[in-house]
Amino acid sequence: MKRYKLIIAVLAGILVSCQKLDIKPTNVVTEDVVFGGEAGIDVYMANIYRKLPIEDFRYRPGGEGRGGMNLHHEWQNFFHAGATVGEMVGPFGGMDIGGGFGYWPYDDIRAVNYVIENLPKYPANFTGARVNELLGEAYFCRAFFYFSLVKRYGGVPIVSTVQNYPQQSVEELQVHRNKEEEVWTFIGEDLDKAYEMMVASSPRGRANKYVALALKSRAMLYAGSIAKYGSTNFVDGEARSAGLVGIPADKANSFFQKAWDAAKLFEGTKYKLYNKTPADKVKNYVDVFLDPSSEENILVRDYSMTTKTAHSWDATFSPGYMTVGPESRAYPTLEFVERWGKLPVLDGTDHPIKFNNLADLMNNSNLEPRLLATVYFPGATLRGKTFDTQRGLYETMFTGTVTQEVAKTLESRASITTSDPNTLHNGRRIIGEAGMKRPGASDNATRTGFFVRKYIDYNKAQPATGLFQSEQAWIEFRYAEVLLNRAEAAAELNNPDDALTCLNLLRERAGGPQLSLAAVNVNEVRNERCKELAFENHYYWDLKRWRISDVLLNNAKFTGLMPYYVISENKYIFMAERETFDRNYNFEKKYYYEPIPGGELGKNPNLYPNNPNY
Amino acid sequence: MKKLMSRILLGVGLLASAACTKIDNYDGPNASFEGRLIDAVTGQNFQTATGNIQVRLFQVSWSATPAPQEIPSKMDGTFKDSKLFAGKYKVIPVGGAFWPVLDTATVNIGSASKHDFELTPYLVIKNFTYVIENKTLKLNFDIDAPIGAGLPTIIEAQPYVNTTKMVGPGASIFNYSDALKLVINKDWLNMDPATKSIEFTIPDLTPGRTFYVRVGVRLNDSFKSSNLSQIVEVKVP
Repeated sequence: MKRYKLIIAVLAGILVSCQKLDIKPTNVVTEDVVFGGEAGIDVYMANIYRKLPIEDFRYRPGGEGRGGMNLHHEWQNFFHAGATVGEMVGPFGGMDIGGGFGYWPYDDIRAVNYVIENLPKYPANFTGARVNELLGEAYFCRAFFYFSLVKRYGGVPIVSTVQNYPQQSVEELQVHRNKEEEVWTFIGEDLDKAYEMMVASSPRGRANKYVALALKSRAMLYAGSIAKYGSTNFVDGEARSAGLVGIPADKANSFFQKAWDAAKLFEGTKYKLYNKTPADKVKNYVDVFLDPSSEENILVRDYSMTTKTAHSWDATFSPGYMTVGPESRAYPTLEFVERWGKLPVLDGTDHPIKFNNLADLMNNSNLEPRLLATVYFPGATLRGKTFDTQRGLYETMFTGTVTQEVAKTLESRASITTSDPNTLHNGRRIIGEAGMKRPGASDNATRTGFFVRKYIDYNKAQPATGLFQSEQAWIEFRYAEVLLNRAEAAAELNNPDDALTCLNLLRERAGGPQLSLAAVNVNEVRNERCKELAFENHYYWDLKRWRISDVLLNNAKFTGLMPYYVISENKYIFMAERETFDRNYNFEKKYYYEPIPGGELGKNPNLYPNNPNY
Repeated sequence: MKKLMSRILLGVGLLASAACTKIDNYDGPNASFEGRLIDAVTGQNFQTATGNIQVRLFQVSWSATPAPQEIPSKMDGTFKDSKLFAGKYKVIPVGGAFWPVLDTATVNIGSASKHDFELTPYLVIKNFTYVIENKTLKLNFDIDAPIGAGLPTIIEAQPYVNTTKMVGPGASIFNYSDALKLVINKDWLNMDPATKSIEFTIPDLTPGRTFYVRVGVRLNDSFKSSNLSQIVEVKVP
């Protein structure tokens, strides 16, 4: 009897339990949740923003077989695109990232298309014009993804609706590439919609109408230069004759005009160049990249240790004795530093000028504050420690000219040098702790005499500078870039007056001399851009769109500024010499476009022809 | 235990016998393809170097959109690949300093297939001579263009010096080679006769060593490749 009761009880339990079999899975977020209100869409958009192609601290363009965007466990921040093209020299073996890393974010584009297609079905869940604003944000995100595709591959398939498999056949899903010009135009149109639909301000880290404008000025400027310069310097091939890569030259001006118009709309807005401490221009420029309340910031991306998204910029760009571990690998070149003009290290007769202190070159040469805030010179200090960069000692001054001395190998000079900073010569260090090391020694001391200063958080205590401990925001768009986009477009459109206005605003904040109208030309604007946007992952793309990478990187070698101490005279001298690893940088013309990823070509034969020479 | 083991073995045996029902019946890569790259001006083999001319193959009998494969040319201006799949290929030489070959050849590659290509160089290096005096090497040569009109811009000329016979772009001693680059950046039609005669002086060569030396002129086409001279052996006294 007892047994029957038990059985009945169990059966009753079973009968009651399965009243609802058709319940929705709780681990899948469904459309009505995502579009159910602000909370749902916030979560959905957060994932899209996480995947946005922002080339930030953690962006790794390749090297040692690994590359990509939004790599959360990437700590080797020194694998920086600038270190392949001579803005820096670094861990790369040369210009070896031309083949790309197979970026193909159509899954992310689908996620955006999903919002664009389905959000308008739920107007009741949002107040006022929020649906439109959110759609505007989606158009901005879509444009950003396509921008990061077209600058790599040229024409790619424009997919603007949600594709479904197996509802659609494979043949239908094997889309064709669009012409490069069509993709740039599509990006411009998406950004126009984004600008129209969004409001003027947004929560930190999210887009508003001015973010869309900033991207538009950048993208249209790229398109203009590709049209203008890509039509004279190109690689022939089937993809080019089909218009899949390259833009007709006569379209250049209309793109430049769009870039200029977009940038011009920033006038009279809340955005302005950061200038909180105008009395100390070096500190002011350093703080542009560290002050979270900067009015110059248009779109930032934040990082935090609590959400395990912190990056490693501090750990990987300063010498080991100023940080937790010896992890630095990439160093600004003398070629980059001399974009500000030749450094005064030689007298008129090709002999070195002698300095009493290591820091005198930096302090007494009337260098532009922006340069000092971008690069740590020998003799500068960080966290109470000095960049004691020194390549060796001379017992007495050499007799010949610097040209003759530099032509000799290090071994055949009368200088004393070593690869270990702890080796002493009569109680004095031979080389500094910050460098310079000889080839073969481990690469954690400068190879050029300089260190990156931009984005280095000088307020951080040394024990807090380890890997994954840096939380300073990445500034993807800032007003200075908008001014430079406008200046460049103006110079290309033969409007030097407007370019001059923009450049002098930047010069004023940088603490540099004002330019005259006669001095303004395209090259001057470009040089200003290289100086202002250094190490922000612009240089690589700028050289490419100007189509001058193959000229600047024609089996090029880069140099550094090497300090030596002369014992008999108690003086420091500096000599420009090839960076200590003596690497070769060569850019093949086919790299102006990356190859369409092989896996995608395998899946979709309609992506052929591949880009020229691949 | 025994029972369990025999059941496992039975299961594994069944899986194994069911797995490979299809046998790979394709022939291995047993076809070979070779040939000469002939300089149309001299009739000799084309002067090449490492990473210079590539013979690009598209196997059209396998796929409508074949992934290209390349046979690098050897230093003597020939090429050979003995590990190809037999089939029909479109073949085109690319990458060197010659006028683009516009019509791709279609070749049925089987065992010991041969095909020669005649290439018209952009520039011909003539009268290449050298004099070695003490530690200084002097090189002299003239350049001539078989076809002048439409020639890509001439970027630069330079010597290539190496300690092995494998000398050329990418295989040379920087200080004796790239460091002595002569920048030209002119179109052929704008070059006066004097600039078509070039002299290089290479100082401070190591005494007692043998060097292999050639000169090259680089043109600004899609490949930025160089026309190269013959290689000479130079003994430094």
